[in-house]
Amino acid sequence: MIYHYVYITVLLILAVMLFACLIRAIKGPRIADRLMAVNMMGTMVMVMISVLALMLNEGYLVDVGLVYAMISFLAVVILSKVYIGIYEEGRQAPQDQDSEDEGGMSDGSF
Amino acid sequence: MGVFDWIRLIAGSAFLVCGLVIFFTEIFGVFHFRYALNRMHAAAMGDTLGIASCLIGLIIFSGINFTSLKLLLIIAFLWFASPVSSHVLSRLEVATNENLESYCRVYTDLKSLEAELISDAKAKQPDRDTRTKGGAL
Repeated sequence: MIYHYVYITVLLILAVMLFACLIRAIKGPRIADRLMAVNMMGTMVMVMISVLALMLNEGYLVDVGLVYAMISFLAVVILSKVYIGIYEEGRQAPQDQDSEDEGGMSDGSF
Repeated sequence: MGVFDWIRLIAGSAFLVCGLVIFFTEIFGVFHFRYALNRMHAAAMGDTLGIASCLIGLIIFSGINFTSLKLLLIIAFLWFASPVSSHVLSRLEVATNENLESYCRVYTDLKSLEAELISDAKAKQPDRDTRTKGGAL
């Protein structure tokens, strides 16, 4: 019974912190801030899923958390690469030439 | 509840509280710093240490079974994945920021950085010598 109260307290604190992360994701002036806040929210949701797995005594919810971790990592990496590509396209569209020597940051090797 | 159950409850709760404090520190740092590359420093902390502490507390609650093995797998995966995602995010910030020089110093090649580091080390050499002498005395 005392374990139940511990789980409920941890879930409540994590819910409050999740809202703080959401505020950061809305306020963040740059794209990197928003993606970073989404990454933090993913981490906290993983802890919440694991706490729920022990609270409900269902072991398979930890598998859900593991898949959530993989998808969150994949989302951050792919969104970063997509935004770098969009930025490079938008910068190279006005002047097609003389942009080959300064594009060393996004040549696909990260 | 026996003595062993109380020890398990207290140890697991201590690890959970440690993880929650680290998460709070992460959020405080993210709201405190002013630039995305500074915020990255605070935000990468919770992905490894915070979730590791929380899940170690849950492993202590759970005991030795298959669920705790899967929780260890989550910790091991995040130890590999979180630095990579932080690196990719900082690369996004560096690649898409127009006026990066107003936030931090930018070195276009490694030679100038090495030259500046060597000159700084040479400039700091005398007072380091005096400090070691003072420590030896």
